[in-house]
Amino acid sequence: MSFRTKLFWVFLITMLVSVSVVGYAVTYYSRSAFEEIDRERTEALVAQFQKEYVQRGEEIARQLDNIIGSEITLKTALDLANPNADQSIYFRDAAGIAQDHGLDFVELVNFQGTLISSAQYPARVGYKEEWVTQVNDWREAGPFLRKEELPDGYDLSLTVVRALPVEKKNLYIVGGKKMDRRLLASLVLPAGMRALLYRNLDPSFSTALLLDSNDTLQNADRFEPLINQIRQQTQPMVKTVDWTGDAADAETFHSIPLLGRNNEVLGALLVGSSRRELVLLTRKIVWIAALVGVAALLIGLILTWWISRRITRPIEELAEGARDVASGRWDRHIDLRGRDEVGQLAGAFNEMTHTLASQKERLVQAERVAAWRELARRLAHELRNPLFPLQITVENLQRARQLSQDQFQEVFNESTATLKAELSNLNAIVNRFSDFSKMPTPRFTRVRVNEALRDAMRLFEPQFNAVGKPPIGTELFLAEGLPEVDADPDLLHKAFQNLILNALDAMPAGGSLKLRTSEHDGKVRIEVTDTGRGLTPEECSRLFTPYYTTKQLGTGLGLAIVQSIVSDHHGTISVSSEEGRGTTFRIDLPLRQSNALVKPAAEEQKLEGTESAKAAAVANQG
Amino acid sequence: MRSIALRWLAVSRRIAALLALFVFACASFSSTKPRYGGALRVELLATSITLDPRGWKPGSRDFATNERLAALVFDRLISLDNYGHFVPQLATEWSHDSSFRRWQFVLRAGVKFSDGQPLTPADAVAAIAPLLPQDLKVSTSGNSLVFQSSEPRPDLLELLASSRFFIYRVLPNGSLLGTGAFTVDETASSSRSAAADSASVTQPPVQHLRFTANESCWAGRPFLNAIDVTLGVPPLRAFFDLQVGKAELVELAPDIVRRANQANTRVWASSPLTLYALRFDEARPQNEKLREALSLSLDRATMAGVLLQKQAEPAAALLPQWLSGYAFLFHAETDFERAKELRASLPANVAGGASPLHLQTDVSGDLARLLAERVAVNARQTGFSVQAPGKTAARDANARSTEPAELHLFAWRIASLSPSEELHLLAKSQHVEEPKENNPADPDRRYAWERKILEERKLMPLVALPDYSGLAPTVRDWQPSPWGEWRLADVWLEPAPAQKPSAPAVNTPTGARP
Repeated sequence: MSFRTKLFWVFLITMLVSVSVVGYAVTYYSRSAFEEIDRERTEALVAQFQKEYVQRGEEIARQLDNIIGSEITLKTALDLANPNADQSIYFRDAAGIAQDHGLDFVELVNFQGTLISSAQYPARVGYKEEWVTQVNDWREAGPFLRKEELPDGYDLSLTVVRALPVEKKNLYIVGGKKMDRRLLASLVLPAGMRALLYRNLDPSFSTALLLDSNDTLQNADRFEPLINQIRQQTQPMVKTVDWTGDAADAETFHSIPLLGRNNEVLGALLVGSSRRELVLLTRKIVWIAALVGVAALLIGLILTWWISRRITRPIEELAEGARDVASGRWDRHIDLRGRDEVGQLAGAFNEMTHTLASQKERLVQAERVAAWRELARRLAHELRNPLFPLQITVENLQRARQLSQDQFQEVFNESTATLKAELSNLNAIVNRFSDFSKMPTPRFTRVRVNEALRDAMRLFEPQFNAVGKPPIGTELFLAEGLPEVDADPDLLHKAFQNLILNALDAMPAGGSLKLRTSEHDGKVRIEVTDTGRGLTPEECSRLFTPYYTTKQLGTGLGLAIVQSIVSDHHGTISVSSEEGRGTTFRIDLPLRQSNALVKPAAEEQKLEGTESAKAAAVANQG
Repeated sequence: MRSIALRWLAVSRRIAALLALFVFACASFSSTKPRYGGALRVELLATSITLDPRGWKPGSRDFATNERLAALVFDRLISLDNYGHFVPQLATEWSHDSSFRRWQFVLRAGVKFSDGQPLTPADAVAAIAPLLPQDLKVSTSGNSLVFQSSEPRPDLLELLASSRFFIYRVLPNGSLLGTGAFTVDETASSSRSAAADSASVTQPPVQHLRFTANESCWAGRPFLNAIDVTLGVPPLRAFFDLQVGKAELVELAPDIVRRANQANTRVWASSPLTLYALRFDEARPQNEKLREALSLSLDRATMAGVLLQKQAEPAAALLPQWLSGYAFLFHAETDFERAKELRASLPANVAGGASPLHLQTDVSGDLARLLAERVAVNARQTGFSVQAPGKTAARDANARSTEPAELHLFAWRIASLSPSEELHLLAKSQHVEEPKENNPADPDRRYAWERKILEERKLMPLVALPDYSGLAPTVRDWQPSPWGEWRLADVWLEPAPAQKPSAPAVNTPTGARP
């Protein structure tokens, strides 16, 4: 990705992130404000409900006080205090009391806890209501919720109990009103809110027990999961219900449990608050943010393109200049003006290229001189050996003119033989230099490296145990299953021969030769280790320089040829040595050669005999 | 002198006493002498009536209302007086063979229908024949009716003296003509005429009926000029109308009776006539232990004593004592502990355990609902789960649940003076199979059959209620039968005194078996 593209994306993302952050912040604070308002409205509604609850309880208590204050109730209490009282005559009294005082539930219970009369469940008369007698002062107890048993089920009652004592025998009057939608109808509901009352009267959820204020509740059965959660809670809880999958139809319910005297959950007030306003507001904000984002994107695209182009153009020129320098154009000059960092960078670049160009020129000249000097030294060295005998022979031949014919003839014959031999040496030297300059181009085929190593070793087996020479031991550590590599088998053979021969030359007093193969990171590694005298670091650094040798009779081309072959195979060669302990040459060859025409191995085998012979000959010359 | 004065004083005292006695006697004579005239205003709970006996459903409360109004228009062959004597009506004499299989009734001569046409034996056969049991055939023989039965029918007099066995003539237009003390005044009756239509006058409901005196009645003209009947009056409204003088005779619901007594209203109560009982659905047979446990859990004493405020009697038999004579031999036991033990021994999957036992009221009204609720409460105390009908379902038969009920609460109103016929009709209506060898006229076998029904708990009696009526103080010679006949032909009205305080309550004692 180009710098301009990166810059473009950075600008663009920055702009989008900025718009998003602003949009999110606005949404977040809007939601917080909305929820705060919602919480306040819910609290107000709950307070309203509690006030209505208390007022209703006070109204019931007032009615019960009126009842126990009446003369007829006193007469009833007096009569019921008599052990032989006919209780049946009061059977209908509770219904009359309930009707007269506007109560939904009224029961008369005698001092023994026996139900004397019941407005809501007359058939239960005669049964015990002992819980009534277990409280000493019902005035302190206040109103409470009660699960009222009815002939056809249960109902939820706000209940007050009053006791009328006569001769220490109380007549209890239990009065109550239904907790029904009348209670909800008295609440003033803000828009978007609703209040529901669930009466927890059955072991399982029932839609009939869920009431709203105006009997318009639909799909009450969908409240079942929410109600089932609420029924387990004795603490207020808040839950959002997603009715349709559309967030605008979701509703947040604040549930306030309604507890009985024993802290059992007898019901729950559910204050539902529609999230429609919030969701629509949020959607509006998101839409606006999206529109602003799109506009910013369009403007940003243009601005970013212009700015990034303006910023990156000098950098691109610098990059192009750098590429030119890398490709060898050392004299690259960038025409940039300005005092900013990029302008300074361009100036430094121009100065650097100028310096590099001049230094390169000097270096090339120096290397060229050094190469010529080395070549001259080697040539002088190589040519001096045959030239000195030639000079002596010619001088002997000039002095021999003064000898007798026979003697001259004998000297002449010896001198011409010597001249021929030394000229032959000169010719051989010239041929070696000629061969080095004409290294063939590799012809790749699939080669088993282990096999190539064994073949190379096989050529030198007579020399390892030659009579009159110290023995040289061989150890092969060839990895099994080594993959084939793309290589020229002849050149590879030649390289291995040169390395083995080099190792033999390094161990004139005998030793051990180790060959090791392995696979590393998709490459095949070949290690040739000898236990010779070793090399100094300086020798190691110059080892692959052509015509450099540490041997008396070496040409200095063997390892240069090896390096040339490895390089032609896109591999690497390195040497590690410790003086007195031995030397290890390490070749890493890639498994596959890219863009190389790989010939089948069978075709190559035809040429194997002749090529390997040639290679052996070349190697032996090193 | 002193003796003369004393003698004079004594004589004058005797004269004063005689004068006072004379004045009192005159006053008494003038107040007890029947007076002709006046219209008796009657208010009934029933919303509809039919005077055609062929359309009456035995055992229903409407049956009694229909019978009371039909008795104004029609006569039977015989009747039973309050002393247990059969009294001739349209039949002047009767006889039977030694085996009680053949009965002969001689028809009264000179009796005419309200349109002036004479009564013939064929009219009587045509009226009675469709109503007779299958084994009983009726035919004419001169001026007599001959009843022939394959089984002995010693109770034929009780049968013919009650229930539907009125004599009437069916006109070609379907109207019924009677020989009774009153005739239906069609012009004064609202809506359609009840007497003129053999079908039930339910749509639209007859709100008002007027019966006028039959001047040519064979038994003589009744004292009342007319009887105005208003139908469908709620119990409390009827009671208030009686108190404020808008009606002279009203039907009272049992739950109003105590209030009426407290208000010093004149209340009449019959013998126990209406039986409330439970029946297990024959199509859903239940475990015997379950039935026994449920029966033992029923607290009949509380039902009668508290819920019905002593206006009813706990019932242990199907037929009341005054009718069967052996009801005292049956006992309704309440034993919660034993019921709990039986309940505990029942398998869990029995009805009333995991699933509730559904109780359905086959009769409408608050009383039936109250009793059903008490049954449910009692059963719940024993460990059963009984689902009683809701208020709406109990008040309105159409609103009842379609869910099949295992238990039914029904009411049966006694209509016949023949215990065998009554037990037969009751058993038939409640789907209780009658033994093949049963002879309904044999009291021993009847007793055995009733005992079998009760012991098997196919039917479980709860309470028996009398009929209650409220009377204005101006109603005189009110001599109803203990089995519910009002006998309004003998009633006369005393002129109402202006602003006279109400008289103390006079409760007519319930009757004994005739």
